[in-house]
Amino acid sequence: MLNKLLKYDLKYMIKNMSVFYILTIFFAITTRLLSLPEQSIMISIIRKISSGCMIAMIANIIINVMMRSWIRFRDSLYKDESYLTHTLPVSKNNLYNSKFIQTVVFFFVGFIIALLGLFIAYYSKDNWEALKTFITTITTGMNMRTSFFIAIAITIVFLEILNAIQCGFLGIILGHKMNNGKVGYSVLFGFIIYLIAQGLVLGLVFAYGFFDSSVMELFKTATINIDVNAFKILAILSAILYLIIIFVMSIICKIELNKGVNIE
Amino acid sequence: MELLEVKHLNKSFGKKQILKDVSFSLTGGKIIGLLGKNGAGKSTLIKLINDLLTPTSGEILVNGKKVGIESKKVISYLPERTYLNKQMKVSEVIEYFKDFYDDFDEKKAKRLLKDLDLDIEERLTKMSKGMQEKVQLVLVMSREADLYILDEPLGGVDPATRDYILDTILSNFKENASVVISTHLISDIERILDEVIFIDKGKIILQSGTDELREKENASIDDIFRRMFKC
Repeated sequence: MLNKLLKYDLKYMIKNMSVFYILTIFFAITTRLLSLPEQSIMISIIRKISSGCMIAMIANIIINVMMRSWIRFRDSLYKDESYLTHTLPVSKNNLYNSKFIQTVVFFFVGFIIALLGLFIAYYSKDNWEALKTFITTITTGMNMRTSFFIAIAITIVFLEILNAIQCGFLGIILGHKMNNGKVGYSVLFGFIIYLIAQGLVLGLVFAYGFFDSSVMELFKTATINIDVNAFKILAILSAILYLIIIFVMSIICKIELNKGVNIE
Repeated sequence: MELLEVKHLNKSFGKKQILKDVSFSLTGGKIIGLLGKNGAGKSTLIKLINDLLTPTSGEILVNGKKVGIESKKVISYLPERTYLNKQMKVSEVIEYFKDFYDDFDEKKAKRLLKDLDLDIEERLTKMSKGMQEKVQLVLVMSREADLYILDEPLGGVDPATRDYILDTILSNFKENASVVISTHLISDIERILDEVIFIDKGKIILQSGTDELREKENASIDDIFRRMFKC
């Protein structure tokens, strides 16, 4: 049944997000087309506006996926639509899994669209070289391979956003439990859970520092003369901790949902 | 085995107790009227049977099993509100029901929609509330369920449509299935009921066959209801 739920959740997101994807690519193409070697002031202004719109669309894709994931979650599980959702012959776990997978999928899609937009709008040999030099400077300083740096940076950002979304899901569940239908509690609980999750990651990294002096140095020193390997450990540790927190939070969400709902 | 068994069911919201020690059972092949005044607890009871509310205490069994995936496979529920995703077309909602309910009869749904002059390519958002309610009723009655639970199916509709709805209900439920209709418009549904359950202030105050009750009280169900619930 998960695949059937997912089919409709993905359809919902495609309907709502596709316009932003199209606009992102549209502005990327116009930015590229207007990037003429010799351009008038007017063209230059239009290009800057187009470029600004594309960046705004990329930010919009990320924010919109977050907002729509939360709204879909709330509408589907606690508003009028919940009369259908909760009477479907599917488990609560699958209801939750479908929403979670939908979010993950659309973050990937958004990420790909953002990369594609940036590539269309700004790719040139010079820009590519400048980007490579920039990344190499960082990775050399941190004693990391470039591929590792890119992979871990994307992973952490991805997990961080996913963690924020899941805090929202848990906030909605607990908020409705405490005060049925009132959105204020959901927001408050979501924010508190997010702070707790962030504090937990920080606390656990700090605790790890007792076993690894290079990591502890990150907390103790205000200078930048620290062991570069500590950044690598910190990055891997953060990714692992985020994964654990996301996993634990999804279990809490499912336990709470399985305890039953009270729809107004 | 009983089709539906409710045992010592209690439901409270905070300090307010809505259902108080409700117990009853239903067998198959009957049309049952769940009758009571507004706020008597009818919708709360129905929502509990459909897993939309969690009992404070007590137990609900459908075909001997607790409320869950198995009970949802055999209960076809019409809520008192419009609950379909309004962005969808009627044809998409039919597809949705077909996907999730093995007992959904697509041909029957399309035939009933055609009888009602409803365009299956129309989006729900473009339909009036009354039309959306008709679509919902068609979807619910197009399932081959064991138990149909209809919460206020006649609320807010004109008398002519009421007759159509009742006829649709009568002619479309599976043999040996039961239909529970919650309403306070008793005179409209009295003719089709086999059994009544009167609920007041969260308690079941009467469960009886309609013929027995009429004979015993020498009055129509509507009159008996009015007498019992006189303010």
